[in-house]
This record gives sequence, structure tokens and C-alpha cells, in this order.
Amino acid sequence: MGIEQDNKEIISSIRENAKNLLSENQVDVVIGYSEGTVPLSSTPIIIRRVEDIEKLTWNNLCYMNLARYLAPLMPQLCDSEGKSLRIGIVAKGCVGRAINLLAVEKQVDLDKIKMIGFNCNGIVNRSKIALEIGEKEILEVNISGNEIIVKGRDWEKRFPYDQYINELCKVCQVKSPSSTEANCVGECQELETINDEFSDITEFETKSAGEKWEYFKEILQVCTLCYSCRQACPVCYCNLCFVDQNKPVWFGKTTEYQDIFTFHLVRAQHLAGRCVACGACSSVCPVGIDLNFITRKLEKIVKERYNYTSGLNAEKVPPMMDFKMEDAQEFMLEED
Amino acid sequence: MDQKILKKDQIGKFYNEFAGEYDFYAPINKKGSIVFEKIENPEDIVLDYLNSKVPPKSVLFPQEEVLFEYSLDEKDVEITDRQNLEQKILIFGVRPCDAYSFELMANFFSFHGNWEDEIYLKKKENSTIIGMGCNTPRSTCFCTSVGGNPFKKEDMDIFLTDLGDKYLVEAISDKGKEIVKKLSWLSDASKDDLKKAEDLAKKAEEMIVTKIDVDTIVKNLDTCFEHPVWDEISESCIGCGSCAYLCPTCTCFDVIDETDQYNNRGRRIRIWDTCQSCLYTMETSGHNPRNTKIQRCRNRIMHKFSYYPTNYDLLGCVGCGRCVSVCPANNDLRVILKKIQNIEKMESEKINA
Repeated sequence: MGIEQDNKEIISSIRENAKNLLSENQVDVVIGYSEGTVPLSSTPIIIRRVEDIEKLTWNNLCYMNLARYLAPLMPQLCDSEGKSLRIGIVAKGCVGRAINLLAVEKQVDLDKIKMIGFNCNGIVNRSKIALEIGEKEILEVNISGNEIIVKGRDWEKRFPYDQYINELCKVCQVKSPSSTEANCVGECQELETINDEFSDITEFETKSAGEKWEYFKEILQVCTLCYSCRQACPVCYCNLCFVDQNKPVWFGKTTEYQDIFTFHLVRAQHLAGRCVACGACSSVCPVGIDLNFITRKLEKIVKERYNYTSGLNAEKVPPMMDFKMEDAQEFMLEED
Repeated sequence: MDQKILKKDQIGKFYNEFAGEYDFYAPINKKGSIVFEKIENPEDIVLDYLNSKVPPKSVLFPQEEVLFEYSLDEKDVEITDRQNLEQKILIFGVRPCDAYSFELMANFFSFHGNWEDEIYLKKKENSTIIGMGCNTPRSTCFCTSVGGNPFKKEDMDIFLTDLGDKYLVEAISDKGKEIVKKLSWLSDASKDDLKKAEDLAKKAEEMIVTKIDVDTIVKNLDTCFEHPVWDEISESCIGCGSCAYLCPTCTCFDVIDETDQYNNRGRRIRIWDTCQSCLYTMETSGHNPRNTKIQRCRNRIMHKFSYYPTNYDLLGCVGCGRCVSVCPANNDLRVILKKIQNIEKMESEKINA
């Protein structure tokens, strides 16, 4: 029965691997997903005892990138001396990419991490569904066959699964973590390179600069600057974000358009060649802004110029953090 | 007779009675989110909604507010006051939980009369609240546990009940009675209308399924400041501000000076702040007494369910459920409160285990 059966198999493999890691004392804790308390959601959870393994789940609403809890490492994952516990982490492909990138950037110690890999079968585009349902309360969401069945008090609406998953998931080619068996139990693969597909932004690219400007202006007008996009991002881990720095103040913090736009633009630039295409930023936005759309173009440029895809291994440094003499420098002004 | 009828196709006419004299705020659909904005065209008003995404606190306490502007001229500094606080405001279509939040916020902005925030209090004084009962509360609502009700009328000037193709109009305050008297074109309500409104109110109350034992929670919070339950409660939190920004009772703000030194001018603004931000309690020395999300999450709960009761003898939550439905990590307030409610049970289980 399609997705339903897939999910059942994924859940039992996650639980089995997590159970083994804990009972064989290979890890101290497992971080994974549990069922959400409201429709269209899921809750990240830390499992410490084998008895709690059944709380772990997988469904196509596990949109958070769990690597987010590794950097900066949250206190619940540290021992009494503030050192990292040994962590098992339920890892879809993009969680694996984030962990690899964090390892490259020396934010995590891979020796302390065991990924529990599996083949991710996509994440539901919750903003798109919420937008289409509009001002009616969603009480239940089920995925059955190849349909997302959304129910309310006295109505039901069905969405075809393959059309209502995140745009990123539609073109995803890293469904399980790109990792060696030393760092991963369960499904994993060792990817050298992939042919990233950017068909999700081709249409947008044909627009004129003016049209793009108008589009961004339009989608960002509801932003409340709650920074949930930044907070959910697994590779946005700065101790003090540029927007929070006040000695000196670099950017305005008002909800005027220029301040909102500057925040999103600069954040996207900081992600150039580092975004792991998990889509968490878009999934968590309380007002449904598709923020990933902004970073996608930058990823495409980095791919075209440097043939680099972030997070495929734990060694290769992102191009924007590196310098090579043969790098194209056509943007430099000529010396007289 | 105090009960009148406003037909739904008369909303434009209703708006025209106030436009000009009042700044007329009402819910609109902005890119899929219901928000309260100043209305220029009555056709933009959306009244068929559950509750707004951003609470109407944004009308009286906007996310960004200019306190004053200044300009320098050689030796002199000229200060221009921000806004006309005498402007009359009308907020239309407010739900009972949010109408109550205006009262709650007034406590913060006047702190027992020891200190007064003129901007908020003046604006509130000059506001007329025309609210509307909740025919279909959401499954995340719990107003009845925190002293509210989907048809609570006392915090409004005029109360509307959606009867399908028309609204039952009830004048509540003196201000409201005056206004309804002036709207002589409103027709009288029939006995059937009143009966129907009563039934709707009863039905709505029954629809609220979440029950929270607030008394136990307030009591438990007195003694659990250092309890390990907070580790668990803050586990999934990612430290964003969506719960606070979309909360109708969160009042914290930051004051910022923006200087345009090249043009010898600047302004002082206040913007919403949140206790979930790492900067919130950061001291000049660099020390931060709330350095982890464990302490920050605790503060949010303590503020609403312990400090508010202590300072104002009121709860700091109106039970709208917005934080429940928007939390990106699904860190559900109802679950958090249940954990605090059951703290003693949890402890005895641990001892027995």
C-alpha cells in the first residue's frame, strides 16, 4: 500500500537500530521523532531508555532536521561536565548531509554520533496544504495509499502525495545519509557526487530582476521576524547571529521591508554552498513563507561554478569557506 | 431594545459609519494569514475565520512603534513626538480571548498604577472593541480553563454573534450603547435570533475539550523552579520567537535607537522582544542569567502562570492556543502544563521505580 507500508518498515527499522544502539551501550541517547499533538506536525524527542523506544516514529511530517540539536549542542545532550554524550540520531538523507557539513565545519565530533539511517520517502508540504484548506480547522491528517487525507469537523479533502510533498523532496537525490558504516547503522550510501536537479526554480529564473524583486517583496510582507527559519536551520549555529549583534548594530530589526529583506538575503548568503536542502526553514515558518526558495538559487550557482554539493562527506570544505588560486575572479576589478 | 441585527451585506455600510472618524481595524487575509489591519476598503474584511494568525494586540501594541524622532541642528535638538494618541480606534471582529488580552496587557502597561505607559493606555482608552463570539472554537483552544469563554462579552463594547446570514448585535459597555443608539438603521432582533445565539454559545462551550487544572499548576510552579521537568519541557524547543510573537498577552519589547548620522537625525523605536531570544537577558558584562533554553522555556511558563498571578492576581494566558498550533517543534503548551500539573505524581513514580 505505497507510503503507508514504507513508513511501517521505516519505523520498525528505526526502532530496531535504536534499540540495539542503546542496549549494546553504543550510545547514551537517541534523538528521533515522535507523533505530534496537532495535525501536520511531529515532535523531536530524546530517548534514554530501551523501554521508551516505541515512542520513536516516522511519518511524512517529520520535517525538522534533527542535526539542529547538535550545534550548538543542547544541554540535554551533554554530560554533567558539559561534554557531548554519545548520540544516536534518526537520520534521513538531509540530516546526514547536515551532520557531515557540521563535521567539516568542526561543530560536531563524528566519533560521538551514530546515525540511524533510512531511505526517506519525502516530507509533506504542510504550508501548501494549510493554505489550500484555508480558514477551517484541520483535525486529522493520514497518509494512505498515495494520498494525503486531511479531515476536519465535517469535511475531508484528499491530496495526491507526490504533488504535495516539498518541492525539494521531489528532486531529492540523497534519501539516505551519505556516510560510511562506521558512522551509520541502517541504510546509508557513500556518494561522491550527485547531479543536483534544480527544476524547482527554473521557471522562477526566467523572470526579470524586477519581477523577482516584486515576488520577494510580496512573500516576505507577512514575515514577523520570529527567526524560526534560522533557529530550525541545522547549519545556522552562530553563537551570536549577525542580526542580533548590537556592538555595533549591523542591521535594523524593524518589520519595515528593507530590514526583513536584508535579514533573509544575508541569511541566504551565509548558506550559499552550505544549505543541505532539508526544507526545514520553509516547513517551520509560522506564516508559511517558502524561504528555501531564496537559498536554492545560490545552491545552483555554487554547483555550477564549483561542482560542489554540501554534506556528501565529512571532509570536503564548502567553496565559500575555501580559496584556490585558480578560482574564477571575473568580478574583481582590473588593476591598471 | 439593546439587541439589534446587522445583516452581513451591511458590513460596508457599517464601515462607512465609522471610517474617517475612526481608524477602523479588522481581520484581512494577507497571503493566507489572517491579520488585523487598518481597513481602507470594507470588501477586504474577512469575518469567516477561526482566529487570526497574528493577534489583534498588534493594533494597540504594534511590532514596531516609533517613540519619537529627533533632528540635530548645530546646537539644538528638535524632538518630534511620534503619533497622535487621540486618534479614535475601532477594532472589529475580535474574539473574546483577544478582547480579554487587551485588559491583561493594560495591567502590565500600568503596573498597579505605579508607572504608566501612556502610548498603550491612551490608545486603549480611545479604542472601541467590537468583538464576535466563537461559534467553532479550535481543538487547541482552552479559554474555559483560564477564566474565559467563547462567548465572553464583558471585555467588549459591542458583541456580535454570527447567526449565518446576519449578526446579532449586543451593546455591552456605555460606549457601545451610545454607538448602537446612533446606528438607527439596524433592525431589531427577534426572540428566535436571541434563542439561536444562546444555543450557539452553549454549543461552542461544549466544543472546548482541553481542560487544564490551573490552580494546581500555579501552586506547583511555586516550588518547582529547579525541577528537572524543565529539561524535559525544553527538549524540543528550537528557541525561535513564534510562540511569543503570536501570543496575545506577550508584552516584552526592546528599545532601539536608529541613527542617521549623515543627515543629523534619528529615531527611537520599540519592537517586540521575546524571552526565548539569547539576547533577552544578556547583561552589558556579557553575563546572561538565562543562558540556556531550559531557563528560557521556564521563564515563558513562569511568567504566564506564576509571575502574573503573583503580581496581578490574574493568569497571563487567555487560552487561545496559538502557541500550540504554531510551535515549529510542536512543543505543545497543553502537554507542558500537564507535566507541571502531574509533577507530584511524576516524583512518586520515580521514587517507586
